[in-house]
Amino acid sequence: MTETSSNSVQTTLASGRLSDRPDARREQAAVRRRQASTLVLMYGVLISIATVLLGTFLFALLASVKEDPLEQPFRFWFAQINPVNWAGAWEQGREGSGNAWWGGFSPGGEVTFHLTYAAPVGEELAAPAIEIPRRRPGTGMAAAVYTDFAVDYASDLDIRREDGPLYEFTNKDGVTEQWQQATWHVRFRYEGEGPRIERVPFSSQAPRSQTLIDATLPPTRMERRGRVASWENVTPGVLGYVFNNYRRVFKESVDLNTGDSLFMSWFQNSLLISLGRVALTLVLATTGGYALARLKFPGQRAVFFTMLVSMMIPIQVTFISNYLVIREINLLNTPWAVIIVLVVSAQVLIMKQFFESVPREIEEAALMDGAGYWTTFYKVILPMSKPALITITIMAFQGAWNDFFWPLVLINSPPSAFALPVGLLSLRNAYGGAGDWSLILAGAFMSTVPVLILFMVFQRYIVDNPIASGSKE
Amino acid sequence: MNKSLAHKERIAGILFILPFCVSLFVFFVYALGRTFLFSLQSYDLFSAPVWNGLGNYLALVGDPLFILALKHSLAFSIVVTTLQTGLALLLAMAANKQVKGKGVFRTIYYFPSILSSAAMTLIFMWLFQRKGVLNQGLSWLSAHGGLLAVALGIFLAVQTLQFVLGRRRYDWVRWGDPFHLIVSLGVTAIATLVLAGLGVGVRDLAEPVTVTWLNTRETFGPLPRTIWAIVAMNTFTTVPTLMLLYLAGLQSIPDSLYEAARLEGASAWQQIRYITWPRLMPVSFTVVTLGIIGTLQMFDQVALLGDAAPLESKITLAYFTYHNAFPPGGTPRIGMASAGALVLALLTLVMVLIQRSVGVSETTND
Repeated sequence: MTETSSNSVQTTLASGRLSDRPDARREQAAVRRRQASTLVLMYGVLISIATVLLGTFLFALLASVKEDPLEQPFRFWFAQINPVNWAGAWEQGREGSGNAWWGGFSPGGEVTFHLTYAAPVGEELAAPAIEIPRRRPGTGMAAAVYTDFAVDYASDLDIRREDGPLYEFTNKDGVTEQWQQATWHVRFRYEGEGPRIERVPFSSQAPRSQTLIDATLPPTRMERRGRVASWENVTPGVLGYVFNNYRRVFKESVDLNTGDSLFMSWFQNSLLISLGRVALTLVLATTGGYALARLKFPGQRAVFFTMLVSMMIPIQVTFISNYLVIREINLLNTPWAVIIVLVVSAQVLIMKQFFESVPREIEEAALMDGAGYWTTFYKVILPMSKPALITITIMAFQGAWNDFFWPLVLINSPPSAFALPVGLLSLRNAYGGAGDWSLILAGAFMSTVPVLILFMVFQRYIVDNPIASGSKE
Repeated sequence: MNKSLAHKERIAGILFILPFCVSLFVFFVYALGRTFLFSLQSYDLFSAPVWNGLGNYLALVGDPLFILALKHSLAFSIVVTTLQTGLALLLAMAANKQVKGKGVFRTIYYFPSILSSAAMTLIFMWLFQRKGVLNQGLSWLSAHGGLLAVALGIFLAVQTLQFVLGRRRYDWVRWGDPFHLIVSLGVTAIATLVLAGLGVGVRDLAEPVTVTWLNTRETFGPLPRTIWAIVAMNTFTTVPTLMLLYLAGLQSIPDSLYEAARLEGASAWQQIRYITWPRLMPVSFTVVTLGIIGTLQMFDQVALLGDAAPLESKITLAYFTYHNAFPPGGTPRIGMASAGALVLALLTLVMVLIQRSVGVSETTND
């Protein structure tokens, strides 16, 4: 091994000082180039890994705002993320309901919509058949949620034709033709009083010889071999246009008895469960950890050993009895069940290790001064333990927020009592069959917001703290 | 005086440990005991339990679903533990590079681990749809396979050529010289783009790839294709967590060791083999132990698949237990569930013990 050392770069550099002959200088430059290249490659590797890891989420995030999450081929640039359409969506939302953000169609609304068709000179540019179809948006539960049809409240359509200039068009065979174009201005009002209607569907049918070349908003899809252009919503508003699927998660998963948003109550349940779990964890882990680290009591070794074993045994081994205990004390289907059921051994272990690292003298001084164990613990030790407390708080919150098993076992009904992860499962059951993945993905992304915030705020406590993350499992 | 102090400490200790002890006793010790008891009984959660002796265990052995679940759990655990340990180490070694902005990379690498299994599973289920992004990616690869092979050939040729020319001038030039790599990558990229523009190596697929990943009974090797999909999901989410453990381990290795090795002329591979790897042994044991425990209780992904996959292609021991305790539309078989659960507990202990004993012999060899 030592034989090769004479070949190493360091030796070359060291010998470089001996002379400044041109070829020696050239060699030095080559070595420097090599070092710079190493750095570039290193960043290349780091960035590639990051792209793979984040790319998955980017794909899913794009799909969550799409009309068709399973479109082929997958597009990275589409109507919902094109700022030109945001401007149109803003204007349409403002006209329909006065709300440029979320849009809608409400009393007093007056909407104009433009469509431009083109055809080669010589063909007739016939008026398309434009209508507001009697259709309710969405899949799954949407039919039960939306009971009003936009067409029942809209006035008759006022359609005005305006001819545009001729233009030259080169088709795919390379033949240049003269084309004519005409724009139809469609106007309709909300007649009288009535409910706010969230979405106004729209469709336009033209002969096949005519091509739709422009519209206030691009059509959601083309039907019947391109003859019918169909819009899900012509009064979306900016947010209603881009985040339509996110809004649908709230609007279309509702308790059919009360009309309340299920997603909202899942979110609240999960928040309550997580906060409760954090509070309970803090109490159990600090007292338990302190006792194991600092106090002598009978059965100490047994408790410690049992605790270690409990970290190894899968929860599926003990869940039946725990289910029965919770049933016995009448807490089934409440958030409290999920809060109390978990044994927080990992967090106790972390606190124990932390307390052991605190110098004993501090407590001994307090005890000498006549303070009791509780006062010493509460007034002296806990205030010193902030980093460890933050660590177990994050662990407990994240663990509880992401927990799927216990909410699944302990909360079965009604749907409004679910925790968020189980709620997501019910969303998948309701919409997955129809392929409505954009709504499911939107729900999944929204469910991650609290842990995302937690991650951003306390990033260094998580990434720099392998104990916390390691014992999460 | 001293004795009463010790007495006071005992009382305080008992009071301090009491809340945790209650939780530990009720939800673990008592629960484990009851699982044992239930495994010897027939019980449906509603009518009184009936003594059944070893009947449940005998029924387990005769239950093809249980055998399948056991097989899946074992294979899944071994495959995922191996994969995630290796990838976590590689990821940690990448994240341990001392470059500007390394904190940003660590944060990004950790990101997949913070999301809930529910959200992650749904995202992956979407990827794995028949018309999903994964199949589209495979279609693309299949259409461009020829081009990619040509690109690889160009890359190897350019790199070798540079190596041969470089070696003539300086004897320290190695085949994997970083400057040559960058040049080769650049040349390959340009050549490939030109070839792609000319349509070389690109073929039109008669049919795009439409592999059914989830709702299928196909198997590949020891596992159903559905569980291979779960292997991908599970590895993706656990690797970053384990990376942090390795990262801490790597940071605890003193730089002076590497410096000494470099002065001795040790290659990068030799440094990994003789310094990094042995020094990381204790971390590796932790990572493997956590991996075994975590993979054997993998449940969420299976449950979240729901009716999107047949029971036989997704069942594991953890899910077998749940499925027997709460069968959809059936009578709970708590006895069977408990017996299965104890097998799972035993399997976990045995696998951890095997790993530990193998590990001990390996460290003494060193």
